[in-house]
Amino acid sequence: MKRLAIVLLALLILSPVLMPSSSARAAGGERVLLLYDSLAAGTEKAGNIAELQRLLAAYSAEVTLLGLDEYQAGQMNAYSRVITVMNTGEIDSIKPEYAEDVAAFHGKLLHIGYHAPDVLREAMSLKTEVYPGTRASLSIGGIDGLDLNAADMPYIVSFRGVRSFGSLSFEDGGVEAPFAVSEGSYTYVPYFQGRAGLLGMSYVLRDWFGATAAPHTYLVLREIYPFSDLELLEETAERLYDSGIPFVASVRPVFGNHDFPAMERYAEALRMVQSYNGSILINAPAVRPPINSSDRTLHGKMSTFIDVLAGADIAPLGIAAENYWTYDKEYATAGMGFFDSAVLFPDEQVFYMEQTNVSRAFASSVYTMNLEELSALPHAGKARPQLPLDTAVTLELPQTEAELEAMLQRLQESWIDFADFRQGIHRVETENNTISSSGGVITLNGAALNVGYSPQAIDGNYQYQEDQKVSFARLFSVQSTFFIVVIIAALLLFGGLLLIGRRLYLKKYLK
Amino acid sequence: MNGNLVKTTLRQSILLAGLRISPAALAASGVLLIAFVALFVPPFIGMADNGDFFRIIYSNGLYFNAPDYDSQYFGYFVRQFGIFQYYNENGTMLQSSQSLFIKLAIGLNKLFYSSEVFDIRFQAAIYLVLYVAAVYLLVEGLTCRMTRRRGMVVAAIAVLIFGDTGYTAYFSSFFGESIVMIMMMFVFAAWLLLYRGRYNDYALLFLLLISTLILTTSKQQNAPVGVIVAALSVSLFWIRKERLFRWLTGASAAAMLLAGVATYVSISDEFVNINQYHAMTRGVLLMSDNPESALESFGMNKQFAILKENTYYDQYGTADVKSDILQQDFFNRYGFVSILKYYAAHPDQFGKILDTAAESAYTIKPAAMGNYEQAAGHEFRAQSHFFTLYSMLKANLAPKTFSFILLWMAVTVGIYMPSFVHAAKQRDARGMQRLVLITAAMLVGLSGIFVSIIGAGDADIAKHEFLFTFSFDLIILLTVSGVAGRLFTSAERKLPAAIAPRPGPSAGERPASGKGVSI
Repeated sequence: MKRLAIVLLALLILSPVLMPSSSARAAGGERVLLLYDSLAAGTEKAGNIAELQRLLAAYSAEVTLLGLDEYQAGQMNAYSRVITVMNTGEIDSIKPEYAEDVAAFHGKLLHIGYHAPDVLREAMSLKTEVYPGTRASLSIGGIDGLDLNAADMPYIVSFRGVRSFGSLSFEDGGVEAPFAVSEGSYTYVPYFQGRAGLLGMSYVLRDWFGATAAPHTYLVLREIYPFSDLELLEETAERLYDSGIPFVASVRPVFGNHDFPAMERYAEALRMVQSYNGSILINAPAVRPPINSSDRTLHGKMSTFIDVLAGADIAPLGIAAENYWTYDKEYATAGMGFFDSAVLFPDEQVFYMEQTNVSRAFASSVYTMNLEELSALPHAGKARPQLPLDTAVTLELPQTEAELEAMLQRLQESWIDFADFRQGIHRVETENNTISSSGGVITLNGAALNVGYSPQAIDGNYQYQEDQKVSFARLFSVQSTFFIVVIIAALLLFGGLLLIGRRLYLKKYLK
Repeated sequence: MNGNLVKTTLRQSILLAGLRISPAALAASGVLLIAFVALFVPPFIGMADNGDFFRIIYSNGLYFNAPDYDSQYFGYFVRQFGIFQYYNENGTMLQSSQSLFIKLAIGLNKLFYSSEVFDIRFQAAIYLVLYVAAVYLLVEGLTCRMTRRRGMVVAAIAVLIFGDTGYTAYFSSFFGESIVMIMMMFVFAAWLLLYRGRYNDYALLFLLLISTLILTTSKQQNAPVGVIVAALSVSLFWIRKERLFRWLTGASAAAMLLAGVATYVSISDEFVNINQYHAMTRGVLLMSDNPESALESFGMNKQFAILKENTYYDQYGTADVKSDILQQDFFNRYGFVSILKYYAAHPDQFGKILDTAAESAYTIKPAAMGNYEQAAGHEFRAQSHFFTLYSMLKANLAPKTFSFILLWMAVTVGIYMPSFVHAAKQRDARGMQRLVLITAAMLVGLSGIFVSIIGAGDADIAKHEFLFTFSFDLIILLTVSGVAGRLFTSAERKLPAAIAPRPGPSAGERPASGKGVSI
């Protein structure tokens, strides 16, 4: 009995380590070669490669992105997983180096779109056709009726496979086809575009990577600046806490003036957020178009800011950034190198410093979508469907009380079961500080961090400008007094002489 | 024998021709020679890109074709650029008269060199020709009533100042300072020649108008120039009695004013934001003892104090300078006028920022940008010291306080005031023009300082104050030439330049030179 108790205790202690906290961690940071024939700019498929990159990041995959025209013989042999996206139906020929290598490839192959390789076709006796209609609907993972554009859409007519994913119903009702099929090391997805395609792909990838851990949905508040309405931020945190909604605050970094009262107030607000069950992420800084690639200050700036937060008992647990940051050597190492957890947003404005085609993978990585997108998913009951991967619902920090009320109402009506980010395993490390979280406990340099809020005084008499050192102050003071006296005396004397002169003049000439 | 005679005559003629070279021609030749050596003889001197070039060159059909261009920012001058061969999708980012000269240079480049690669020396050649012409007119205006010997002294000083490679290096760059320099000199020279009564008044009025228009529209910060020159050039109305001249003078002033207003209106939002941002973060917040109180006086969130000393160009920042939060809570809460009011209410801070401005007011060539090509083998940001005596002396010896600038202006105006009063008493509008010109140049220079500090704080201040440093040099040369000509008061008493015999309405004839005394 005693022995059993010890074993149980040991298991309890080790459980956060042994049990993967997210689907991403289960995937275990695979290296994937992502090949594509075209970015499909200007077509309905535009952006599908970027979205696939985000999905792969969410499964903690280290992705090497390569255009098929740049592919060189033997390149895929360095990878155990290869994904090929063929967006273009009409091409003259497949690059022979690629065709040969794919035929001999022994790893896991996922083909998306047109021109599935013969080896895959043969392995699953695949037959495809292009659907002549325009609309179809997808059912997958408990989500039914996802509408999709089916113009020029290839679909699976017949196959021999162990697994199929989802079901496509076409508008005429006469045809039903699987969204994707898998046989052995081959997986085929004929269609990948739009929100429905993306959702279907997230289920396919979960299986492809063999992720087993339960996925979570987080709430991430964005656009939190030191000059945001900090009182409203505190109130938002309190109201979310009262509503039982754990959340993540993606806070903007500050790279200077850390001793200013403004920074102290920012830190106070973040401490308050932390005390209301809010996890802190550092949002990537705003980047200007680099005019000089020799600017290598990012590492120092990020490190200092993390240390400033840690010094104020604030524990950042990861970084939030646009996905392209993971494809930039400088940003990925100097900016993101401190973190093993990331929330990755879609790209909005891309300014690479040192672009690379190999992404940085994170042990814990969260896919993001906004509340409208998630709410738009078809659902039978009140609750929204749980997506197969860790997902963050992003919302901007309300700017008014009315916006706050509206946000809270939307969240409550969404019936989404938000998870607490700090329950996961996260680690942030600088030269001076190590912050980690596991099972809801945050430690700072090995000691448990008390996230309870206790107000700290802010220096109202902060000295912005250092008093300049004054030499011989006393001497100059005496000197200046002396000159003032001399000048006043001289002026009086001069005035007196003028009066005397005037009187003499009048006496002499006006007699 | 005959041959010898011919030979002697020829030699004598050449010698005589050489000796008869005017001070203006000497100055122009000197500047031409020095600038030619600097710009067209290896190692070529120019100015490195600080990141501003793309705004002007891409919309004019040029692009950076050097694969390592990125690594040369600030450090090395780049001589060659690519010429777009197909449709140029880059819209105009910067409305500037500079485009005219770039397009002309590209045209010449295509005609004589290449239709694919642009060599910036074609642009430098155009600028140099114009600059030399401006120097000629300026020195002619200064020396046309001097003895030859004194004229030559003035010419030598003019070469020392305006041949300085601190100035001419700008020609091998896409900075707008080249246009500012040339056109400001044309404005000054044309007005001075009008005062001297040298050359045809109509031609000079036309030159004044064109150069003011180009100067005003060359850079957004020059918008006040059009207004200042327009306002003061109204005084030219009375220098001739013909209705046509007066009508033309009025029309010119109106055109200049319009150019100033149009330049101000055409300033793009981004430029407004850049300068507005710096005006607060590198101006008000920088100078204030308590940035939070300063922000509250603008009705702004005091948390913005955290942006103190930030620049628009910081590679990494807390907020995107184009973000909604900055647009709504920062940029929309203050402007040029409110900053002006703030400084009026806090003269101590205004004094501090004026002194900060004065520290850079005598810098001709910013030290931040290198002058050599990478291939020349010099280190990153290496500066050329070829013919830079004047710029070095000026940068090192001039007192760096704004009170010195005020003192200099007061003394200069004081020196020229008696002749102005005399001319005013004589109702001699032409004789009054010299002080009007000096005042205009001073105001133009001051506008450079004020627009910089109120509009952009201390950011990039050395470059922003170029207009001041150039105006300062023009006025200094005028003053020095006066000293070289004769002592001020005695000269005026004997023969006030403004009322000295001059060609008058039949301008165009050369006045008797050599015996005349002028300052």
